[in-house]
Amino acid sequence: MSTKAQEENNQTSGYARTFQIVVFRLGDEEYGISIDQIKEVVITPTITRVPQKPAFIKGVANIRGNIIAILDLEQKFGLQKAEDTMPSNNNFTLVIDSNEYKMGVLVKEVPNTLSISSSAIEDFIFTGDGNAEQSYIKGIVKLDKRLIIMIDILKVLSQQEEQQIFKKQAVAI
Amino acid sequence: MSNKEEEYREIFLTEALENYTEINRLLTVLEKNPSDIKPVHALFRITHTLKGNATGMGYEKIAEVAHVLEDLFDAIRDERIIINADIFISVYKAADIVGELIHAVKEPRDVKYRGVKTKLEVLLREAQRNHAVTINTHAVLQSISETDAGDCQLDAIAEEYSDEESVDLKFSFSDLVQVPVQKLDNLLNLVGELIIERDRIIASGNGRHSTSEYSRLSRISSDLQYSVMDVRLVPVDFLFNKFHRIVRDAATKEQKSVTLKLKGTETEIDRNILQVISDSLIHLIRNAVGHGIEKPEIRKQAGKDAEGVVTLEASSESDTVVIAIQDDGAGIDIPHIRKRAIEKGFLNNQEATQWSDADIMMLIFEPGFSTMEEVTAIAGRGVGMDVVRKALDSIGGTIHIQSTKGAGTTFYMRLPSSMAVKSTLLFELSNETFAIPLSYTESVISIYKSDIHAVAHGLISVHLGKTISLVFLNDLFKQEKNSVKTLEQLHPETRIEVVVVTFNGKRMGFIVDKLLQQKEIIEKPLHKPADGISYISGVTILGNGNVCLVLNIPGILNVINHNQFNKVSL
Repeated sequence: MSTKAQEENNQTSGYARTFQIVVFRLGDEEYGISIDQIKEVVITPTITRVPQKPAFIKGVANIRGNIIAILDLEQKFGLQKAEDTMPSNNNFTLVIDSNEYKMGVLVKEVPNTLSISSSAIEDFIFTGDGNAEQSYIKGIVKLDKRLIIMIDILKVLSQQEEQQIFKKQAVAI
Repeated sequence: MSNKEEEYREIFLTEALENYTEINRLLTVLEKNPSDIKPVHALFRITHTLKGNATGMGYEKIAEVAHVLEDLFDAIRDERIIINADIFISVYKAADIVGELIHAVKEPRDVKYRGVKTKLEVLLREAQRNHAVTINTHAVLQSISETDAGDCQLDAIAEEYSDEESVDLKFSFSDLVQVPVQKLDNLLNLVGELIIERDRIIASGNGRHSTSEYSRLSRISSDLQYSVMDVRLVPVDFLFNKFHRIVRDAATKEQKSVTLKLKGTETEIDRNILQVISDSLIHLIRNAVGHGIEKPEIRKQAGKDAEGVVTLEASSESDTVVIAIQDDGAGIDIPHIRKRAIEKGFLNNQEATQWSDADIMMLIFEPGFSTMEEVTAIAGRGVGMDVVRKALDSIGGTIHIQSTKGAGTTFYMRLPSSMAVKSTLLFELSNETFAIPLSYTESVISIYKSDIHAVAHGLISVHLGKTISLVFLNDLFKQEKNSVKTLEQLHPETRIEVVVVTFNGKRMGFIVDKLLQQKEIIEKPLHKPADGISYISGVTILGNGNVCLVLNIPGILNVINHNQFNKVSL
């Protein structure tokens, strides 16, 4: 594979741990979630829309008797293109492993897993958009010419989602 | 009635067997270390409890033996008797007799108990005479013959001692099992999943197999479901009986004279529902005493008995339980509430005159609305009534009031008898299926566009002489506020399906796309991040595996009222 990356690893730290991430495509970029946060990958079941929720929460679905919320991160991150709005493109759902949140993330293609060294993750650099909440971005993984954005899926919701809901309710009242 | 006695007997037996086991355990502990005083205290307490229970149930024999044992442990505790091996033999013997007597309750047979009883009594008497006597068996026998023991008792002792070795030491098991509620909840959840799965399989197999193939599966799983629900039912008297004391305390504080009457106490209801409404019942009962019943002097002036009566009545109506809390007091002062509502800004003058008495009375359930001028110790703080309504909302119950000035007030609480299954009406909206609980559904009507009138920015229709305000459910979900515009887009020939719901006396019609069938569903809660939706109380899984949202009628109506969205005369 990438000897360059390995060399880099050896240079930066002698004790780098390797761990696995699940990589999927959102818009034109590749995103990664630590495999610990993923319970399973399933074919997206029928989604039932729910009212009073931000648009990126597509609705709820039944996965073997468990009801989970289905999230569209492309919409959430503002990556959506007009032709992508067809739900048939979102063929797979990454079911998130969490006791607090029951949810899944829509992806178009079968995601693949990748073993990376912890030293391959670079701290995230500010993108210049001061308004965006970016604490859910854990870092950037560089492998050859690939660039993978590592996110903490649980943080994606914990801050912004709550704010948005409050805003929506304030508008409604 | 005999059913209840049977139940009490079962409960007694369970407890008595526990006591018996515990006595045996403690005796062995004590025997190993006779100087330890703790087991003696415990033994005294247990025998005392056993005596009390047995007396209450009318099992004199058990009570007598337990009584002697209690005295004996009392004496040991006070060090009037020094315990030794011989005493242990007698005490063990007595414990065995207690065990046999308990069995005899279930399978009546003759148990000789007088011998042991007498022996222990003699031991005690000896101890009274001489505070530190050590007694052996022979001395006991002698002293019995010396004292007033009758012949028959002597015979009995002899007889028992002859077959001492053959004492039946069978282990026995109670016919009652105590189960933590958590386990029952779990079981109910599993049954819920099973029912959903059954419906799914039947739906997916439709056409491929004949329906009779599944009829057995259907029947067994339904039976299972109802059995599990039945296990969770408890008679309401379990809760009602606690109110005697509450009424008494409240009446004493208010210097009133009140009796509590209970009716329909054998009515059964889900244990969790009883738990949820117990605080509400306390509020309502205290209010009945505090606000409802007048002081004795005033009652006499009004030509009533000085003693007020509060009646708590439960009754079953198909799958709901109605609990009525009735007092024969002054009744609700409706003009006073009207005045109060205007003062507090709940209503303007015009609304106050338009609203019906029934609507005005419902105002007492609004947060911060209290009509009592002075705050008494038990009532009048304006909290409580809104808590009552919240508790009822959470379980899908409703409340309404009937009050006649001078004659009294009745609160009717309508509760689901089980939390597990909700009867719902399924309907379709934008190609998705929703469920609406039947407990809130008043009627289903089908009308034409011409029957609907636009008033201000809202829609109303008249059905059977009642004015109903209508809302397009779809608009509500999309936060689209222009119902009139939505109506204009409809074709004049379209039949419009309306589900009329009521909640706390408020009536509202929801316009839906298509009505489907009635269905019993098992509701599941929504979790983060899909939680906190005020329009939806939960979800259920349909036969085809899709998720179906269950409407939260109190939530929707509250949002509509607070938004003044489409508000016409309610």
